[in-house]
Amino acid sequence: MKSSDDHLLWGMFSLREALYLSFCAIFIVIAKAVLRLHLHVTGHSMVFTMFFMILARGCVQRKGAATFVGLIAGVMCLVLGMGAKSGPLVILKFLLPGIVIDVAAILYPLLAQRYVACIIVGAVAAGSRVIILGLVDWLVGMDRELILQHMVLLSVMNMGFGAIGGAMVPPVARRLAAHGLIPSAGPNP
Amino acid sequence: MSLSAFQRIGWQFSAVDSRLHRISAGWKMAGMLAMCSAAFIGKSFPNLLALLALNVIGYRLGRVKTVEMWKDMRFFMIQTVIVVALYVLRDGIYDGVLPGLRTSLQILLFFMPGALFLRVTPSSQLMRSLRRWLPERIAFFVFISFRFIPYFAREISDISMAQQLRGARIDKRSLANPRNWPGLFHCLMVPLMIRVMKTAEDAALSTEARGFGKTGPSHSSFPVAKECE
Repeated sequence: MKSSDDHLLWGMFSLREALYLSFCAIFIVIAKAVLRLHLHVTGHSMVFTMFFMILARGCVQRKGAATFVGLIAGVMCLVLGMGAKSGPLVILKFLLPGIVIDVAAILYPLLAQRYVACIIVGAVAAGSRVIILGLVDWLVGMDRELILQHMVLLSVMNMGFGAIGGAMVPPVARRLAAHGLIPSAGPNP
Repeated sequence: MSLSAFQRIGWQFSAVDSRLHRISAGWKMAGMLAMCSAAFIGKSFPNLLALLALNVIGYRLGRVKTVEMWKDMRFFMIQTVIVVALYVLRDGIYDGVLPGLRTSLQILLFFMPGALFLRVTPSSQLMRSLRRWLPERIAFFVFISFRFIPYFAREISDISMAQQLRGARIDKRSLANPRNWPGLFHCLMVPLMIRVMKTAEDAALSTEARGFGKTGPSHSSFPVAKECE
């Protein structure tokens, strides 16, 4: 995505980049709301969450892009009351996958256009959400062994759906790159 | 899909008037944090049951219906089954059930005040409260995102309709078959992303024209952030 020179938000994104990322967060919220009305499968919303987060990082190749999407989506979900299962921790549940995606993109800038990378990162980022639950388990005094078992049980579905969402990114990102809308191998400052 | 679709989801604000509704969001948040902390501190059954009673009284004071309270809590029943099962597998039925139930109750009591908070706090009050904590520019993007939800919901619907007329299998019935899912991403997401980029470009120009992001003295009597409230 084209960017202007003047940067806001601690010098990280231009105004249009930040708006684009905010709009990606809107789609996460819309998808979460729509799927919630029709499906009752644990972790299914991870398909679109991972899709939009990884795609956003592919389109805006700057550090913190996915984290910013996660922050906006998290605050929106909190305000709309879509995360009471986690209470105020819902913001963290969106921030953590964003941080994972950003770290992965720093290590491998071509992330959004590679199937294997997207699937792995989608699964890991989606799985990272259960860290919050693990933290709560630890705070209530559960044994470490049980916390791990609990986290594994809950992360399986999340990781599966996250991997599916990640797998959907490369065809879209490649088509956008082919049309010159996003850089195919842009800089990663 | 419009904003009204969000109203049908659970864990939503209950539009009634009560004493809890009238307390400011800041005080409610402080109370919620205290109740969450109490769930970790009170580890014995009597303490936890007293805390549960306090939460239920909170729901009653907030005039939240029992059905709505059940909707908030039913997810944790699944959690309870998982946690108790893990304890039983490790310690056996006699030694595992009670510790499992106690831990599940603690987890429930950690999240219950948050659910109650969202039930008795309207979005406008929550946003006012968040604006004090969030940096001004982040708050601006949150508010502008809310403004664009109906717009993009309409865009999705329009693009989907246009693609279906061209023969794309992205209607509800076709999407029941997972083999049609890639079509959803190919036919819907690419045009949608292009539309998003164009909208971001237009919105950025519009926002810049209103002086957003300028560090010098303001030349406008209408700050953008205030307009977007």
